[in-house]
Order: sequence, then structure tokens, then C-alpha cells
Amino acid sequence: MNENLEFVPPHPGDPGVDPASDATSHKDAILRVEDVSKIYSSGDTEVHAVSKATMAVDQGEFVALLGPSGSGKTTLISMIGGLLSPTTGTINLAGTDVAGLNKRDLTKFRAERVGFVFQAANLVPFLTARENLLYVSTLQKRISRKEAHARADQLLEELGLAPRAKNVPEQLSGGERQRVAIGRALMNDPDLILVDEPTAALDTKLGRQVVELLAREIKQRGKTGIMVTHDLRMVQYTDRVFEILDGELTHVEQPSALAH
Amino acid sequence: MNLALTEMRRSKLRFGLLAGAVSLLVFLVLLLTTLSNALVNSITGALKGVDANVLVYSANARDNLQASRLDPAVVGQVAEVPGVTAAGPVSVLTTSAALKDGTEDLQVFGFEPGQPGAPTALSEGRLPENASEVAMDGGGYAIGDTLELTAADKQATVVGLLRGAQFNASPTAYLTEDLYGQIVKATNPNVPFVPVNAVAVSVDGDSEAVVSAITAEVPGTKAYDKDDAVSLIPGVASISQTFGILVGLTFIIGIVVIGFFFLILTVQKMKTFTLLRAVGAGTGRLSAVVALQIAVVVLLASAIAVLLTLLAVRGLNSGIPVELSPVLVIGTVAAVLAFSLLAGLLSIRRISKIDPFTAAGAR
Ligand SMILES: Nc1ncnc2c1ncn2[C@@H]1O[C@H](COP(=O)(O)OP(=O)(O)OP(=O)(O)O)[C@@H](O)[C@H]1O
Ligand SMILES: [Mg+2]
Repeated sequence: MNENLEFVPPHPGDPGVDPASDATSHKDAILRVEDVSKIYSSGDTEVHAVSKATMAVDQGEFVALLGPSGSGKTTLISMIGGLLSPTTGTINLAGTDVAGLNKRDLTKFRAERVGFVFQAANLVPFLTARENLLYVSTLQKRISRKEAHARADQLLEELGLAPRAKNVPEQLSGGERQRVAIGRALMNDPDLILVDEPTAALDTKLGRQVVELLAREIKQRGKTGIMVTHDLRMVQYTDRVFEILDGELTHVEQPSALAH
Repeated sequence: MNLALTEMRRSKLRFGLLAGAVSLLVFLVLLLTTLSNALVNSITGALKGVDANVLVYSANARDNLQASRLDPAVVGQVAEVPGVTAAGPVSVLTTSAALKDGTEDLQVFGFEPGQPGAPTALSEGRLPENASEVAMDGGGYAIGDTLELTAADKQATVVGLLRGAQFNASPTAYLTEDLYGQIVKATNPNVPFVPVNAVAVSVDGDSEAVVSAITAEVPGTKAYDKDDAVSLIPGVASISQTFGILVGLTFIIGIVVIGFFFLILTVQKMKTFTLLRAVGAGTGRLSAVVALQIAVVVLLASAIAVLLTLLAVRGLNSGIPVELSPVLVIGTVAAVLAFSLLAGLLSIRRISKIDPFTAAGAR
């Protein structure tokens, strides 16, 4: 699964590769993050949420972004997904300079090129599971109405939600809701799936199920995905793990290196 | 997959209550305006319906038809003024009669057949042509009935019926100057001549110029454009103003209710709107959701309001003819819709300020 990962000998006392040098070895990466920093300034205090992050993810890879709370995970993937503009640095997704897009193009970029699963509120409360999927398809023009209906039904089927398709979110369990959100993220056939702590609200068993399903969908469809987590047990479903600490990407490693 | 309509379908109670509240306010606007129009019309209908462009009163009448007294010879003098194509007398008086509906007060309107001053609001039959005929508005008459003019001890056959032509909100009889003169002489045997109250003038071209010409050239007279004369009828201005304030206030309350209600709905839906912005819905699209919901609520409320108003107008037994005008309905609904959409800008402003990144936050 990880054949495109070149072997770089680990530094002594360091369990993985430095993401910047790892990035140079991924020549054909679909996603390239270079020297990206984000400084939040509220009043006269500045928070360096992400500092000089550099990383590369290949087409078809499902990677994890692992780090403790407050380490800048959400900030980083928000910049990658065009929700937040970096203070400095460049982000390139399949040839698009994300940080250079204007507001209108960013909206279109988010609708067509990225699929999000957020940490918290993910679904429109007054729409059924199926309608939550269908609604995002109306935000783009590449997939026709008819295709969208077929696609929504297929996704719901694959995610084991077919019997719940007509339920609104409050009638669904936490795990089902996250699965609907995953379906929503995949709905518009995006280049990149960004998933932020999909298991935060779930118990371990359910969490595993959801992540397994997510990994399967991403792999089956040949999609590229980044999953944010602070749960070591979830990284085994990914191809590579980027570790982030205090806003800095410290190293990249194989999930097996983190397994206990 | 329409977000606005789907939400409304799922929250029928919430939107139903709003539509109900708005419908009551629109109903009030429609009803008050209809009543105000009916009331004003019951006072002004007769004068408004007079076939004339310009009316001439005596100079000392203080703009009041009933206070105006002119020598009948003035009719001829007015007819001579350049720009006047024809002139005819208009005479009014209040008399008592044995009306079919049991009341006694009768307004009498005299005119010269074929001359300006004849009524125009004929709904059935024809206008009187001689001293034994009369056309009626109110009093419960049908064509062929006989009107008993008790005070003058005279009778006349009803040959025509008029609508919206009552004077002073009372049953009104339209009859020839000839019969009018007979009534005056029968009730006041000592009058030296039968005065007329006004001269009705038809004008060729600019009535403003003729108005000043008559006032200047015929001594002791003051001429008015007919519309001006109508609005100067005592009571009209204050009725219009009073009802205008009520209608205006109700209208404003309605708009404010809609504006704030949707603002509250928008604030309640902030999380959802933020999520949708984050997954690629533009501000325009979300604003359209609010706009469409406002339009649906207003149109639904208006439909209910029109129904209520029709029922109320039918149920009202006010003695004056009340009718709901389609122009009023369309105008009111259009105005409520337009201003409600403007009030929706409060919500749209909120939506445009959404930072989609907030959706990524943990809370
Ligand atoms: N809008 C903001 N304004 C100011 N500081 C912020 C803002 N958003 C995040 N931060 C700060 O930036 C840092 C990184 O936040 P971020 O949400 O990216 O962390 P995280 O790794 O996703 O944490 P968690 O695992 O708790 O979700 C934190 O210190 C946070 O307090
Ligand atoms: Mg986070």
C-alpha cells in the first residue's frame, strides 16, 4: 500500500522522516503544502497555530494528521481545504494555487474539489440523510441531477445507511451521522477528502467502524484523504502519518511504527 | 432539492404560525383600507361621479358644496368663459321621504339632463329625463318603484339605480332640476328663485387655466378642479388621515414582524448556514433561501388575509356599500412583499458575514 514511500533512514532518536525532506521525494504529489504558517492575532496577542508546515500527499493516499489538542490540526486542514487563508506559504491541490483564489472561487473550490467531514455539526438538521447528500450536489455543475440521485443512493448503500436514508439527523445515532457526513464529503467526487476527528463523539468500537468505512471508501474510489486525529488507534487504517506538535510538522512515519 | 421549501415543509408549525400572524396584519391593512375607502366614498361618491372637469361654487362657500348658493344665471355666465365647452347646474338638498328601507333622510341631487352635472355611476336602468322620474342610490329601491317625497308631497318613478353615488352617506335621489325646483318651492313657498349650489363645467384641454379664468371672470364665484373639490369635502381629509395612520402602523408592524422573525430564524440556523458556506454554498444561494421563504410566507398570508377580508366585508352590515377592490389587494400584497424582502436584508447581512472557517471549529 505504501510502495510510493521511499525509504529514508531514521535519524537517531527520531522515529520518522522530516516532512520537508519527505515532500521533496514525492515528485508527483497531488497536494503540496509549502512553508505554510498561520498566525491568529486577537487583540495584541498572536497565536502561531501553524508554523512553516511543508508536506506532500500523493494521489490515492489516505494519510493521518496526528497531534495533541491545540496543535494546529484543524487550522492546517482548513487552510488546505480553502476555509482559511494562510498567513504565509503556498498550497497547491492538483495544480490549483489554493491560497491565491478569491472568495468566490474558494466557495466553488470547496464545493467541487474538497469533501469535508468536520469535527462537530456536519449535517443540515432539517434535511434527511439522503437530502443532505443531494443538497451538496446542487452546489456544483459537473454531476447531473440524475447521476447525483444514483450516486447518493449508492453511497448510502455502501455506508450501510440505505434503511436510514429518509431519517433526519436527530433520528440518527452519532455513528450514523458521521457516516452521512462521509457520504456528503464523497458526494461531489472531490480531489481531496478532509476529515477532522471523525470519531470524537463516538465510542472506540463505533469509531473504528467509521474510520474503517472511511478508509475503504477512499481507497475504493481512488481518492486522496487526510484524517485528523489524536487517537493513535485510528492511524492503522491510513497509509502514512504526519505528526504535528505546537503547530510544527515534526515527522512522517508508517502507521506500523506507531502501533503498540 | 430545494432547501427553503424543504425546511418549510418540515417546520410547518413554525412557518404556519408566522403566516398566520402576518395574515392577520395584512387582513387589518386590507380591511381598514377598504372601510376607509368605503367611508370616504360614501361622502364623496356623489361629487366624484358628477360628469364634470371643473366645479364652480360661490366665492363665500368656504369650499363646501352645501354652503354654496348661486343664482341660476351664473350657469350661463360660466358657459361663456373661454375653454368651457358646456356648463350645467348642480343642486343639492336634504329632505324627508318615506323610503322603502324605512328610513326618512333623503339626499336630493338635481341636474339638467344632457348637461354637465349628471351622475355617471349608473349601474342599472337610465337617468331621469323629466320631473316624474328619479334614479336612486340606496334606500332599497328597484326600477319601477315609486319614491314618495313626503316633505314636498310629490312622487317619482325610479328609472335607474346608481352605485357608489351616495352623498353624505345617505340614500340619494338623482333627479332633474325641474323636479328639484318643484321640491324647493313646495317646501319653501317664499323663495324668490331656486338657487343652484354649483355649476358643473366640462372643459376642453387644460382645466387649471379654466379654473382661474372662471374665478377671475365670473364675479362671486370660485372654481375648482373636480378632484380638488372632492378632497375639500369636510371630513374627507381627516378620515383619510386617521385611517392612513392606522393602516400605516399596521403595515409597519407587519414588516417588522417579518423582518425580525426571519432574523431570529437566521440566527437560529447560523450553524447550518455556516456549515453550508463551508461546504461550498455561496452567500447568494443562502440569501435566496431566506428570500424565497419570505415570499412564500407573505403570499400564503396574503391569500388567507384576502379570504378573511372577503368574509368580513360580506359579514359587515355597515349601511354603506363596502367592496374589496382588486387593485387594493394587489397593491397591498406587492407592497408587503417588497418591504418584507427589504426586511429580509437584515438576515442576509448576517449570512454575508459568516466566516465559513467557523464550521471547522469543534463547537
Ligand atoms: N479563530 C482563532 N483565533 C485565535 N486562536 C485560534 C483560533 N482558532 C484556533 N486558535 C488557536 O490555534 C491553536 C490551534 O488550534 P486548532 O483548532 O488548529 O487545534 P487542533 O489541533 O485542531 O485542536 P483540537 O484537537 O482540540 O481540535 C490553538 O491554540 C487554538 O487556541
Ligand atoms: Mg481541531
